[in-house]
Amino acid sequence: MSETGEFLQVSIWREQDGNGHFESFQVPRRDNQTILDVVAWVQQQADPTLSYRFACRVGMCGSCAMMVNGAPRWTCRTHVQKVADDNRLEIAPLRNLPVIKDLAVDMDPFFDKWVAAEAVFEPSQTRDDPMPPINPQDPMRIAASDAIECINCAVCYAACDVVAANPDYLGPAALNRAWSLVNDSRDDGQDARLKAVSGGGGCHNCHVQQGCARYCPNELNPTLSISGLKRATAKSLLGWGQ
Amino acid sequence: MRPSLERHDTDILILGSGGAGLFAALHAQKAAPDAKVTIAVKGLIGKCGCTRMVQGGYNVALAPGDSVERHFMDTIIGGKWLPDQDMAWKLCKTAVTRIHELENEIGCFFDRNPDGSLHQKAFAGQTFDRTAHKGDLTGIEIISRLMEQVLARPVERLQEHRAIGLIPSRDGSALAGVLFIDMRTGKFRLVRAKTVLMATGGGPTMYKYHTPSGDKTMDGLAMAMRRGLALRDMEMVQFHPTGLLAGAGTKMTGTVLEEGLRGAGGHLMNGNEQRFMFDYDAAGERATRDIVSRAIYEEMRQKRTSPHGGVYISMAHLGPEIVAEKFKGMVKRCADSGFDLAGGLVEVVPTAHYLMGGVVVDTDTRTDLPGLYVAGEDAGGAHGSNRLGGNGVANSTVYGGVAGDVMGQDCQKMKALHDPDETVLDEELARAMAPFAHKPGDVTALRDRLQDVMWEDVGVMRNADGLQRGLKRIAEIDDALSSVGVAADNLAFNLSWHDWLNLRSLVDMSTVIAKAALSRENSRGAHFREDFPDAGAMQESYFTLATGYGEAISVARAPVQFTIVKPGETLLGEDEAETLVGAAQ
Repeated sequence: MSETGEFLQVSIWREQDGNGHFESFQVPRRDNQTILDVVAWVQQQADPTLSYRFACRVGMCGSCAMMVNGAPRWTCRTHVQKVADDNRLEIAPLRNLPVIKDLAVDMDPFFDKWVAAEAVFEPSQTRDDPMPPINPQDPMRIAASDAIECINCAVCYAACDVVAANPDYLGPAALNRAWSLVNDSRDDGQDARLKAVSGGGGCHNCHVQQGCARYCPNELNPTLSISGLKRATAKSLLGWGQ
Repeated sequence: MRPSLERHDTDILILGSGGAGLFAALHAQKAAPDAKVTIAVKGLIGKCGCTRMVQGGYNVALAPGDSVERHFMDTIIGGKWLPDQDMAWKLCKTAVTRIHELENEIGCFFDRNPDGSLHQKAFAGQTFDRTAHKGDLTGIEIISRLMEQVLARPVERLQEHRAIGLIPSRDGSALAGVLFIDMRTGKFRLVRAKTVLMATGGGPTMYKYHTPSGDKTMDGLAMAMRRGLALRDMEMVQFHPTGLLAGAGTKMTGTVLEEGLRGAGGHLMNGNEQRFMFDYDAAGERATRDIVSRAIYEEMRQKRTSPHGGVYISMAHLGPEIVAEKFKGMVKRCADSGFDLAGGLVEVVPTAHYLMGGVVVDTDTRTDLPGLYVAGEDAGGAHGSNRLGGNGVANSTVYGGVAGDVMGQDCQKMKALHDPDETVLDEELARAMAPFAHKPGDVTALRDRLQDVMWEDVGVMRNADGLQRGLKRIAEIDDALSSVGVAADNLAFNLSWHDWLNLRSLVDMSTVIAKAALSRENSRGAHFREDFPDAGAMQESYFTLATGYGEAISVARAPVQFTIVKPGETLLGEDEAETLVGAAQ
């Protein structure tokens, strides 16, 4: 409905078993249309074998990120009118992750690094203990809170040139979560975490290029979190030296 | 000829990775540390499913003055006396433990009061400010934290594995395992397990307007029915009154604009830009979900509609800056979608949100098929005819954990895996490959047709004529689907094949919903019959029970057992106020 009579010239990356190329499609342009809608139209009306991934449709699950005209974006919340200069679109799989097929990438390396960064809550209490009172204005709680609303969509990971150059680098999302936990007064895993994020693939690789902060659809600032980790690991190293 | 089939074994198999699936994995591993635990999911771990999409929060009786009894009474009254009372009780009671687990062991952030205690907000249908939350993105927080815990443990992951059939043992006495399509390769895989949890999460996506994530197509319930399991309360489809309406052909349409917009004073206006809610209810826009949904539906029937055929929500009179501040996430989402929620008019429409019905289970999540357990939205009973906002995530996390505990215990008692019934296995393989025998066709057009039928004839307001017509039209779509094919030349990550299978499940379950709706000749909660508008006597409450498959589906009625409290009674003491909303402030 509400077709504009115009067509989008859409160039979509096709890849299977390691061989890839761009393919062109003409897609009717609509007033209300996201990049995800464009991709779905191609699969349902033009080429039934086109592969991609989505789930929630509303920017909550982080399943549908792709490279759109060269930039990493959540496709369900990216309106065509925001990015389609001259009705042209180039859609490719998210950078820095292996392609499964076409626009669907394997996100396991991203999550493996999440775990490797010890970006996982380590409890100090159990379900049988009372809930700890936490002052919402406590500076540590605020710092933890500022970094927490990540949907693990891997847009920052795709935006990061350090990840592109160094496949061992843990990347902005995992380090951002680790920083949130460093500020979590309930957590009991700080030593292991600081060790994990200060190692070879850790926070000191970050060159502060800020690609992550620029593209994070939730307006988080992983660069700031990584700076926090650099300070925390430096302090902790001093502590170990004593 | 049978296609190639990979065979794989585990001890505890979990289908789904929402609140129920992830909690089940953690609990199963604790209950049976030596057992192999496998999560299989249609999308990615922690990413598909709907727990993630919870905006509201988590109902739990924690604060001084509240009680499990009060939470229970709200749940029973909200469900119009239809809930299974033992399930509802265990939900309310165990939610207290589960929220401590989420905070203390899983590491969830919940909003705090200035004194450091958990902030709990008011939510519709409750007599106490009971809903714990993390802003308006509670689901993301709960699932992200659960996902981390699961990923950090030695749980086997079968991602992008679509379950297509429950395979019984050769003697039929138990479940032997589950047949999957490995979506990435397009190959079939049979996974045998001693215990299987089905937590694939209902999801009424057969309606023209719907909120659940795109992966949800009621595959679990369809599989359970094929194995002869009974489904209860299937007519109970909850509509959220304000889904975004952006026209056809966009996945934005149907997604929820939150309840709080009306609560804060938002206006609903028809196509003539006139408010209409007070024509229907004294509470105006603040009336309950079902009443607002029916009022909007009536305006639509009277053709007093916005350009895309719905109505408008308008917030600007509250001050655009104030709206933008208070509903930051919602305003941003609308802006991304091209709409100005803070200062303009946004088109909305009632949208199918949640299925209260599901598989009949006991309070330990066991079913009539030994080895099969069901939790979360796939399980019926806890909500009756209407789910309270905030009871959905409580239900999935409570019963997911219960399932993990119980499966862990049961699995240790079982000696060996069962051999599968090869005949059923062949039937299920043939069923999945059926479209390969036909000329490729337009599955999307058929799905659109089904969604129109369900919206028009089995939707917000129902009557016998419409339901009969709906059943006939669903049968026509069923026939048409049987002759629409899918090209089989490249099955790796072939979404068009899965579109076909999705529609197969949705058609099957649409028939069940329509038949159950025809069987209930009164109006309760989410189910409204124009030809039977009365609720009926509460003492004589019954629930529907659907069994059979295909044309043989039959719906019976079973009396509700008032095991804890009878209509007219309450668990609250004589000195306790009927409502304490706002009293905590």
